[in-house]
Amino acid sequence: MGIKDNKYYKEWFKGAWPYLTGAILLSLFQIVTLVTTGNPWGVSGVLANWGAWIFEAVGGNVDKWYYFSSEGAQRTLEGGLLNHGGSIRNIGIIVGALLAVLLASGFKIKKIKSMKQVVAAVIGGLLMGYGARIGFGCNIGALYSGIASFSLSGWVFGLFLFLGAIVGSKMLVKYFM
Amino acid sequence: MSDVNSSTGSSPSGGSIRRSSRSRSRKKKKNQLPIGVALLALIVAFGIFLGTRNEQLVLFWITGLAFGYILQHARFCFTAACRDPYLTGGTNLTKAVLVAFAITSIGFIAVHYGAHLRGAPMPGSAYIVPISAATAIGAFMFGIGMVISGGCASGTLMRVGEGFTMQLLSLFFFVVGSLWGAHDFGWWKLNVILQGKAVYLPDVFGWVGAVVVQLLIIALLWIAADKWADKKSQEA
Amino acid sequence: MKEVELDCYGEACPVPLVKAQNKLKEMEVGDVLIVQIDHSCAMKNVPEWARKEGHNVEVEEIDDGEWEVIIEKMK
Repeated sequence: MGIKDNKYYKEWFKGAWPYLTGAILLSLFQIVTLVTTGNPWGVSGVLANWGAWIFEAVGGNVDKWYYFSSEGAQRTLEGGLLNHGGSIRNIGIIVGALLAVLLASGFKIKKIKSMKQVVAAVIGGLLMGYGARIGFGCNIGALYSGIASFSLSGWVFGLFLFLGAIVGSKMLVKYFM
Repeated sequence: MSDVNSSTGSSPSGGSIRRSSRSRSRKKKKNQLPIGVALLALIVAFGIFLGTRNEQLVLFWITGLAFGYILQHARFCFTAACRDPYLTGGTNLTKAVLVAFAITSIGFIAVHYGAHLRGAPMPGSAYIVPISAATAIGAFMFGIGMVISGGCASGTLMRVGEGFTMQLLSLFFFVVGSLWGAHDFGWWKLNVILQGKAVYLPDVFGWVGAVVVQLLIIALLWIAADKWADKKSQEA
Repeated sequence: MKEVELDCYGEACPVPLVKAQNKLKEMEVGDVLIVQIDHSCAMKNVPEWARKEGHNVEVEEIDDGEWEVIIEKMK
């Protein structure tokens, strides 16, 4: 019997887990993250650092920016990507997803199909990046970790995220489909 | 038709749907498992490399991999959880996200309270942030962005790993937008955020009260999501 | 009985689901809709929605990362 017909292979690597399994496992690793690193899981703050590194690589300078002015932020920027835990974790998310797809034998490069997708990706990316900086995080840091940390800001973020998603849905159906 | 019901594990066991007997010439499937195993070896090697630099980096590496694997394998998508109730009437993911909120809350409050008992500084206090117009505007922008680009922060990273070129592009512009936001952050902080106030629920309701209130809100939202899906399903 | 193919290759969520919903609305009971997708999330949410609506559903993996969701309209 080949591995592909193996019952445990199918259950663990092929197919898909129920959403509830995902919810429980994510919670487990959120708690692991809080206990071990002293902070909950965050994703988008790291991306501002990536932006700063790219900007500095092409000759820019962010030292005078208020956002990067703290000693900790400066140290992170000087330490570089390979010494930055958050960056390592974000790369881990990409690689972990890739691993999941490969072990399920379902990897495929999905090419951009239309100009609409390009426009949607550019505008959507910019809105998410800017929104996450002024709103203190993304769906993970501000929403998930915020709510789980019993911060009222998480619920406020969630409410407006939901309203934004409705407007986004209308735009998606109208312009990007 | 031989491999109907095979491998995806999501088909019912009933008889197959009859389709026109157009024979499909199918490429022979490549087995990507060996590449997966090779990637696993690289992952371990990189972990060992990180370990020589700093032990804590290995932890970030492992938790990142776990988050990515879980998100992908459960198709866990925060964007869909926010969008589908309105767009398609489905709330399964919304309910799952609420369950994640509930379980994580219980774990987090235990950690907070443990630190409180020991008189230690509270872990994760940096995530209890002031509420201001910037929270609302930022979240609203983020909500629009994640729906049109087809992925939130974690979802975009996950889809890059899955091979989506579109999300690779949106990740790049996410980074650009972050830099833009970081550039303007001083203005927002001075004019908007400083007017806001951070609220930690246990300060308002007490430890037990906060847990009760939070779980009750989550439960009510869960019921609302469940009823909403039934309603939308009947309308269709 | 009609058989309709819906090409959603390269489309990310929720586009395949919305397209499938709209298409199925136009179709008659007994018709078969084949949604072609390469997005692993759609491979889960399209069948889930169709099953909840009470249609007959099958998922076929036709290549690495490509699926056909076959929906027989039941009502």
